[in-house]
Amino acid sequence: MEFQIDQVIGNLNELFGGKDHHRQRKGLDFITIPKEQAVAAITYLSNPEGFKHLVLLTAVDWLEQGQFQLTYLLNNPDNKQDLGIRVLIPRDQAVMDSIHDLWGQAATYQRELREMFGIHFPGSPRVDQPFILEGWDGPPPYRRDFDTKKYAEETYFPRPGRSSNDPTEYMKHQLYPDE
Amino acid sequence: MSKKFFSWNEDRSLYPPAKPDGTIDIDLSSHKYLKIWHGPQHPGITGNMSLELTLLGDEVMACETHVGYLHRGFEKLMERRKYIQCFPIVCRVAVPEPDFNEYCFASATEELAGIEIPEAAKWLRTLVLEMARLQSYLMWVGGQAGAFGQGIIGQWTLYCRDLVLDRFEELTGGRIYHMYIIPGGVRGLLPDGFRERMEETLRIIERFMKDVHSVMFNNSVFKKRSVGMGVIEPEWINRFGIVGPNARAAGVPMDVRKDDPYLKYPELDFEPVTGTDSDIYTRADVRRRDLLLSVDLIRQIMVKIPDSGEIRAKTPNVLHWKIPAGETYSRAECTRGEFGYYMVSDGSEYPRRVNVRGPSYTHAVSLLEKMIINVNIADVAGLMVSLHTYPPEIER
Amino acid sequence: MGKINDILSPFTAWKHLVNQPVTIKKPLTRQASDRYRGFHKNDIEACIGCGTCEEICQNAAIDMVPVDGIGTKNGDSGLRPRIDYGRCCWCALCVDICTTNSLTMSNEYTWVDNDPEVFRFVPGAENKPWDQKEQGWKKPGSGYELYEPERVNMEELPPEERDHSFIEIVKGYSHEQALLEADRCVGCGICVATCPAHMGIPQYIQAIRNNDLEEGLRILYETNPLPEICGRICTHKCEEVCSIGHHGDPISIRWLKRYIADQIPENEYKKILETENLVKNDHKVAIIGAGPSGLSAAYYLALMGYSCTIFEKLSEPGGMMRFGIPEYRLPYDQLDKDIDYIRSLGVEIRCNTAVGKDITLEELHEQFDAVYTGTGLHDGRSTRIPGTDHKKVYQAADLLRDITLGKEVPVEKRIVVIGGGNVAMDITRSMARLQKQKYGEVGIIATSLESEHEMPADREEVVEAREENAQVIPGWGPVEIEINEGKLTGLHVVKCTAVFDADRRFNPQFDETIKDFFPGDMVIESIGQGMNLSYITGKTREEMKMDHRGRIEVNRDFQTSIPWFFAGGDIIQGPDVIHGIANGHKAATGIDRFIRQWAVGS
Repeated sequence: MEFQIDQVIGNLNELFGGKDHHRQRKGLDFITIPKEQAVAAITYLSNPEGFKHLVLLTAVDWLEQGQFQLTYLLNNPDNKQDLGIRVLIPRDQAVMDSIHDLWGQAATYQRELREMFGIHFPGSPRVDQPFILEGWDGPPPYRRDFDTKKYAEETYFPRPGRSSNDPTEYMKHQLYPDE
Repeated sequence: MSKKFFSWNEDRSLYPPAKPDGTIDIDLSSHKYLKIWHGPQHPGITGNMSLELTLLGDEVMACETHVGYLHRGFEKLMERRKYIQCFPIVCRVAVPEPDFNEYCFASATEELAGIEIPEAAKWLRTLVLEMARLQSYLMWVGGQAGAFGQGIIGQWTLYCRDLVLDRFEELTGGRIYHMYIIPGGVRGLLPDGFRERMEETLRIIERFMKDVHSVMFNNSVFKKRSVGMGVIEPEWINRFGIVGPNARAAGVPMDVRKDDPYLKYPELDFEPVTGTDSDIYTRADVRRRDLLLSVDLIRQIMVKIPDSGEIRAKTPNVLHWKIPAGETYSRAECTRGEFGYYMVSDGSEYPRRVNVRGPSYTHAVSLLEKMIINVNIADVAGLMVSLHTYPPEIER
Repeated sequence: MGKINDILSPFTAWKHLVNQPVTIKKPLTRQASDRYRGFHKNDIEACIGCGTCEEICQNAAIDMVPVDGIGTKNGDSGLRPRIDYGRCCWCALCVDICTTNSLTMSNEYTWVDNDPEVFRFVPGAENKPWDQKEQGWKKPGSGYELYEPERVNMEELPPEERDHSFIEIVKGYSHEQALLEADRCVGCGICVATCPAHMGIPQYIQAIRNNDLEEGLRILYETNPLPEICGRICTHKCEEVCSIGHHGDPISIRWLKRYIADQIPENEYKKILETENLVKNDHKVAIIGAGPSGLSAAYYLALMGYSCTIFEKLSEPGGMMRFGIPEYRLPYDQLDKDIDYIRSLGVEIRCNTAVGKDITLEELHEQFDAVYTGTGLHDGRSTRIPGTDHKKVYQAADLLRDITLGKEVPVEKRIVVIGGGNVAMDITRSMARLQKQKYGEVGIIATSLESEHEMPADREEVVEAREENAQVIPGWGPVEIEINEGKLTGLHVVKCTAVFDADRRFNPQFDETIKDFFPGDMVIESIGQGMNLSYITGKTREEMKMDHRGRIEVNRDFQTSIPWFFAGGDIIQGPDVIHGIANGHKAATGIDRFIRQWAVGS
């Protein structure tokens, strides 16, 4: 049967509770799948539907909504179709099922997400080993509530001799100091 | 295709048997094993990463990749920079190939903003991306030869790369970090006389690549150490997310330039370079032919590229450019395969999230750790370079 | 066979034995390319210190610092960028965004020094070896702009639709146009100092971008209680110094201000500006003249709780804004919108009440805690050339007032106007409309001493007057009004060669040999107005200190030598609306200070 992305989206909606489908451009679609059905949906996509290439797995921190968005970007090389699976998980219970048995490199992605966002993937190989941040004992740094500027100001010191002036304020001071 | 490594010791009974998943049970207290660190400052390593190797004799029994020597946190830095302010830093994600970062970042931004860039800018971007491929391959050839002890190749190709950098310098104003592909377009037209100097550079490169072919590829030493070694099985391609020349050498014609054409590639005449044997030699040969394809593509581009025209689309004032909310993924074919930027905008002046998908991410960690088992310690560097990994894009 | 070849083939490398090395030998004299992004240069005279380079720098490598020999003045902050080469990444975005095109890069790339401090330097101010180098990175051109240099065109009524009526000409920006225009602003704030009222210009433009017009209105009213008026007829000194104007059109600051005020209906003002529950105090202030400075003083005093009463000689408030500026530039309903809001705060405006006639200054002093005067310049000055006593010679200010009052004004077929300022253009264009209505054609000549480029009138006023078929002929000095058998027939003029002397003082020079004659049936003089301070009498007059030019002397609170008497507006500074508003605001603060001291003292 000929590949139809609309058919795939329809199946995802029907079988896995998919919603909020958005076609970003021809060949790139996004859809939100509930957390519980996500791995099943991805497994379904990877096998019968031919989305056999995992392009990337990453997270977006929607701090204001108290959610993490996991994005699984899958690619169907035979039909030139990309599909981004969005999975929203609560920030305070950041746990997700692992997909390392579908793609070997997923373990690396999950290890990085564990380290950078504090999202746990139980059962993923070496997921608790530090990946990039050996020796880091602060909070997961890619969470949006980690303030890099504040951290840098507390940890490092500015180079002496640097100071700047705001043109408006400076002109006010120079040209009409009395007002 | 058989998996074969050169070993002084053909008697496998001395080595512990591999389990079905390819790993080996290691009993460190038996004092039979030696743990050594290969990198981060080993000359045979590609950039700042290290391999924690467990050796039995001179054979690798287990390996763990360690990165984190080069983590700059670009994805985090972009959270508090306006889109235009991200532009000067994205090129630093992958040091030897800044332009693919610039292109992917710019095109993702333009797509979300709904901006179509001018024709001349499209051609100039295509040119710059091919030049980037050319210089990156030239550096890689030297690395691959060097890992097997052929220092002279690196000297030739780095000279050639310097000539490409000269062309970059006159076109973009920079040698390494070009900061040329700006969201909305590019930052300059071809300078006067560029075509002639480019053609001269291409001729020198072709001449040296002939020498490289005779001295490196038609060389029994190189062949002995690379033919049949480090084979990537075709079924691993999707299992481990292998892309680019690593996949093409296994016969999978995977090339973003053809699969998801961007810029002016549909107007250029080319076929993805593929191989069949998927070993170190084939991968090297695929890259060598891809390098020559780049030379050919640059010639094609130089014929069609306009000398004048608008180079940047009208955009809102970059100091307060708000990108409409949305998400997208923009990809390009770099020398290691699919390079991509996943960008999420919340409608503000600052990107919500930018995620860089570098091909080395999968090649250098999960794949390398799998392939390196049973490899002779002397071949580790050669195997690693044959995967063409750049640590800076692993940890961004 | 292949095997033998694989052993022999590498030996072909030996052919390179005879080749020369390709490496560059010392000393390193290699020139970088023409476009190379090397060390920074700055044309320090052209730079205005707007700080946009600092704003765009993602490395925070740029500081704005004062530099010896560069003073702060209108349109130039006196600051210059200092670049920290410990942080710079040579992306050249500072060059690309530079509003004056003064910042560039040389192609120099070697600089060796033992002292790390020297690598933090002010380009252009430290005599670097590369300062004179031509090659290096410059703004690319070819359609490459990081912000839009061209102004969003303001829609206006075409000349043929406007030249016979007093309908407002400028249509105002639409939502989309305002967003586009506001987007061009780089937010440098160079304009703030030049605006007499120091309005928060970048802030209210930002409010437009954020689509938060209520915030915009609050910012406007912080410094200017007449935004509808200023948004139309302000002399917009701010636009003359706008940094964007150095390489493109300045931001339409005036139209953007009007856009904010236009979008919000008057009945929402009190809620937005949080003036619904003003707390009153026991003090009263009298204000003479309901012009911009009087209204401004009344507004800010009302905010502070004072009970203000404005005494206005004419039948309606507004002063020159109503009786001087024609309706096609400032419609009365918009004027009333601003004034009605001020009234709604409890400010009483007593029209038809002339101080000195209906009530004396002494009475005001007795009834009120302080008095502010902003009576402006209403008495037209005469050229005093022969013939000015003819009955067909009029004063522009009088005619404009009569037009507003709806009185019948004399309209002849051929009119000559003397003057090149905005009032001259106002009367020229008003009379042209009346001529069009009465005769179906325009026959008016406006002539000024100043040459085309020196004319004090706003440029667009001159252009639009010509579009409406009025002739504007600058560069002539009036000599005599010709009167033939009691009938006015025209104006004799001679060529004016210079208006100002080397010290920029008014000292016109004429070439008597070049003469011309402008025929006309009436002449209107519009060479400026004088003040009428006849209401200040008796002891007050005697004690009041005047400066050598006959103006009332005031301190920075606009307080005269008589403590309870404050003065501002055109009689002190200007003449223009925005100075009046600024004076009124400062005087309000001064009056508040005076009354509080006085209340404590007593």
